[in-house]
Amino acid sequence: MSQSKKKGGRGFMFVWGAPIVLGVLSVFGLLAALLGTGAWHWASWITLTVLLVVILRYWVFPLKH
Amino acid sequence: MTAASTIKTWYWVHKWTSLVCTIFLLIICLTGLPLVFHHEIEHWLDDAKPLSDVPAGTPPANLDKLVNSAKSMYPGEVIDYLFFDPDEPQVFVGMAKKPGDGQVSGHAVRMDGRTGDVLLDGPPYTEDKFSFMGIMLALHVDLFAGLPGELFLGFMGLLFCVAIVSGVVLYGPFMKKLEFGTVRATRSTRLKWLDLHNLLGIVTLVWAFVVGFTGVINELSTPLFRLWQSTELVRILEPYKGQSVPTELASAQLAADTAKKALPGNAVSFIAFPGNAFGSPHHYIAWMRGDTPLTSKLNTPVLVDGKTGELTTVAKMPWYLTALEVSRPLHFGDYAGLPLKIIWALLDLITIVVLVSGLYLWVARRRATEARINELVKRHQAAAAPQRTPA
Repeated sequence: MSQSKKKGGRGFMFVWGAPIVLGVLSVFGLLAALLGTGAWHWASWITLTVLLVVILRYWVFPLKH
Repeated sequence: MTAASTIKTWYWVHKWTSLVCTIFLLIICLTGLPLVFHHEIEHWLDDAKPLSDVPAGTPPANLDKLVNSAKSMYPGEVIDYLFFDPDEPQVFVGMAKKPGDGQVSGHAVRMDGRTGDVLLDGPPYTEDKFSFMGIMLALHVDLFAGLPGELFLGFMGLLFCVAIVSGVVLYGPFMKKLEFGTVRATRSTRLKWLDLHNLLGIVTLVWAFVVGFTGVINELSTPLFRLWQSTELVRILEPYKGQSVPTELASAQLAADTAKKALPGNAVSFIAFPGNAFGSPHHYIAWMRGDTPLTSKLNTPVLVDGKTGELTTVAKMPWYLTALEVSRPLHFGDYAGLPLKIIWALLDLITIVVLVSGLYLWVARRRATEARINELVKRHQAAAAPQRTPA
């Protein structure tokens, strides 16, 4: 981690930060509805919808360079 | 140097695992779309009688009433199983021409679980395979090829999982200098789709891997059940050695009551009748589901003596059947109402985009390589031409 920071000037989290957060959200979303009902279903729907919103955000409105 | 060759190796793995499985995964993703909503679609397509309008809290009908009514509809056939719909108070009474013949001559009569009214006299499974949903299911699960087809598509699913893992490994070097979510939309079509392929792939990574991997486990359901039958079940059947298969069966209601008494708080989800191809020749096997969100997906098999209706044993679920049962909801996406199914369908559509863009990138790359080679050939010929003319 620290090595890549020195070399490229950008760290591990620059590349993997967002994917890790989205991965954690996915795991939570998949399990919440399996282990609970009611509010947990809502939690699942919302967290998994975040994935779709992220895709829409970057696909429809590309980042400006 | 080593880093470069590692990337090359992973690229090779990603390219070939993807290429081999893509066409099958496309079929699986496309047929998966209607299958996510199979409950809703079947409801809408079939011409079953609606459930009887009885007051809420009406107790379930005696199972023997359902069994006898099915038998009177098809005298000479045997009951193969009873399936209790977890969502609606209806029971599917599975029948076959002879014991263990369900997969060949099987069909099911759907009945109201409270009144015993016949809702739908279903077609034989062999015919139902060619209904719209039957075709979708066959293309999704076994390509009309039975067990070999299941194992083949299971292997394709495994390749898909390897493609996902290798794709993640490649994501690192590709994104080293790019901000997350970058889509270079203005430079070239290939670059734009490369970025979209990376974005869509990394965002849906965990979902796609879970659905892919649980799909592989589902494809192994037949061998896993056979394994259980040939190990655990054989031990349970030891004392029955030499006994003839029962012809006069104990009452199905008694069998269900025995199972409920053995596991208080559980509900019956499925009863395999003695002789069922996935059951025991001497027992009713009542698969009981728990009453919490998770345990309602996990079934415990209770073996009830087919002749006496007495408890034989509550079988221990081996880990691989538990894994199979957990894999079902996680693959089907049917465990949190319609919103989850819609999310499942949308993520499925995105996976289709990842597959198609991957294929496009491979073709475009090849085209770029070929164009470069053609150019080199032309240059070479141009350089060689003047020397050739004098001769």
